Amino acid sequence: MSQIKKKSTRRDFLKTTGAAFGVPLIITSSALGNAERPPASDRIVMGGIGIGNMGRGDQGAFLGRKDVQYVALSDVRQEVREKSKAGVDGRYRNADCQTYTDFRELLARPDIDAVHIATPDHWHAIMVIEACRNGKDVYCQKPETLTLREGPLMIAAARRYGRVVSGGSQRVLGDYRKIVDPAWAGEFGTIKSINVSVGPLPQLCNLPAEEMSEKIDWDLWLGPAPWAPYNSKRCSGSFSINGSSWRSFSDYSGGGMTDWGAHHFGGATFICDVRDLQPEEVTYFDDKDGKYLAFRYPNGLTIYHNRPHTGNLHIEGTPGEKLPAKPVPVYKGDGEIYGDFIHCVKTRETPFRDIESAVNTAVLAHMGNIAYQLKRSLKWDVARQEFIGDSEANRMTDRARREPWQL
Amino acid sequence: MLDTAFEALKKFDWGSDLRALAPIEDAITAAHGKPETGKEIETRLIAAMKGELSRDAREYVCRKLANVGTAACVPGLAALLVDKESSHMSRFALEQIPAPEAAQALREALPKASGLVKVGIISSLGAKRDAAAVAPLGELLKEGDAAIARAAALALGAIGNVESAAVLQRTLQAGGGPSAIIDALLSCAEALLSSNKLADATAIYKAFAQDHQPRLVRLAANRGLLACASKQT
Repeated sequence: MSQIKKKSTRRDFLKTTGAAFGVPLIITSSALGNAERPPASDRIVMGGIGIGNMGRGDQGAFLGRKDVQYVALSDVRQEVREKSKAGVDGRYRNADCQTYTDFRELLARPDIDAVHIATPDHWHAIMVIEACRNGKDVYCQKPETLTLREGPLMIAAARRYGRVVSGGSQRVLGDYRKIVDPAWAGEFGTIKSINVSVGPLPQLCNLPAEEMSEKIDWDLWLGPAPWAPYNSKRCSGSFSINGSSWRSFSDYSGGGMTDWGAHHFGGATFICDVRDLQPEEVTYFDDKDGKYLAFRYPNGLTIYHNRPHTGNLHIEGTPGEKLPAKPVPVYKGDGEIYGDFIHCVKTRETPFRDIESAVNTAVLAHMGNIAYQLKRSLKWDVARQEFIGDSEANRMTDRARREPWQL
Repeated sequence: MLDTAFEALKKFDWGSDLRALAPIEDAITAAHGKPETGKEIETRLIAAMKGELSRDAREYVCRKLANVGTAACVPGLAALLVDKESSHMSRFALEQIPAPEAAQALREALPKASGLVKVGIISSLGAKRDAAAVAPLGELLKEGDAAIARAAALALGAIGNVESAAVLQRTLQAGGGPSAIIDALLSCAEALLSSNKLADATAIYKAFAQDHQPRLVRLAANRGLLACASKQT
């Protein structure tokens, strides 16, 4: 499926396949644009993959933009496809939005410029890489990766094809400005440490088989994850991380560590201006105060995880020191993180939450999960992307994907 | 405690309480730096796998062998490789076992497997970056089954050495193979570039920078050529 497309343009595509896809060939007044909306040729043509809880929100944000034409969606749930299509068609007052069970059909459409992805995490790397191979720009919900191996491959695909790939945490900039601004203004002096409080770890899912209560392509929902019987909690998209949604389970997610960790670790790395770096070691503590971690960066910074008696994003600075102020990076374009992505699709600039900084954030969470699971400290070779002298830890940097899925 | 956990494993199935198996998990973690203890746990896991187990329990064993397995457990896992139901979890373990016997088992299963199972085995050889698999994977580029040919191309791209690039180039020049060959060759070029094999990387990029190539490919190739040039200076 997929892969590199032969030379073809959106216009060619409409000419040759319009009938097959049911794409209208009549030029409407909407297509020509007006004072309120740019002509169709200037709009970013988008599709969405995974339109559950977060996907619905992302879709609404893109659909609300005048410079976006939303034309297709993919979801493994029939009800979601139908409701979502009705919403898109209602917005545009037509019946043009195409729906797909299999995301590969959507990605194969040459008329689509960009996609947003909000499936469970075990799908992210496969879909992002496949989208890049098909020449699409991507907005991918957080956490962007399920394993440590996936991150560099996603970055490589984005860079190989010159794609704009943005991660999805709106909180990294949106929630922490009260700390970011003084930090970048140098008011804390040299930041020695910051604490992130988040959790819990993911757990293995052993829920029993249930009668299927919805119309869902179960094999496609599982995708690269190990086969398991249908259970409504296993595939629930609720935001729970305590055993009643896929976010709790290690086959599909890194648990609270990666889920909220994408926000909090992302905020911490932004505050401390280490979004471009990865830690070189993580120290595991298990003492009278409980279990916690300390990630050490090459520049001397320590990011703690669940440090006892310490609040979330609590900073240890250097009293009496004032550093030169640096300009705070912010979203480009208009409309928060979504506007930032669309602006970058148009201009080919780097988005605020570029895939590389998103991956670097996820590395903290994955390293943390592995250190807690192994109950020991680990050293990380950033260049080689492997743990130093710890074969067991290296066995946890990736996992075999169920056939036919492959990175 | 460990004995009780292995007893519980015999009756373990979907819906069973995972806490009953926690001592196995704990024993594996505690075996760090104690090869004899690790060996003991592996032996017990191998023995368990030979008994009557539910699919869920067998998969649990494979998950644990991914953590502690050595060459000793490879024959048991290899026996599961060509079975549609158990192939993935066998690979789940084999992909993580660094002993050369694990990759060998995957290579030996290739001619015995077909369809999706074969696709999975190919992808595991790619994930392991198994240089010894280049020749058999190269043969699979000409497969009539498009999924197998595509998987072989991507696996060769993941291996990313001079030999895998050569096999991909030969197939491309002969006018055959799946479209994934282009992506695979670009992956190879990136790996060659990062290992300072600049002439090999440049040759790949130059071929794809030609006007007749799709725009996306030309852009990738030109970006690669720039990276090669900047490394030379």
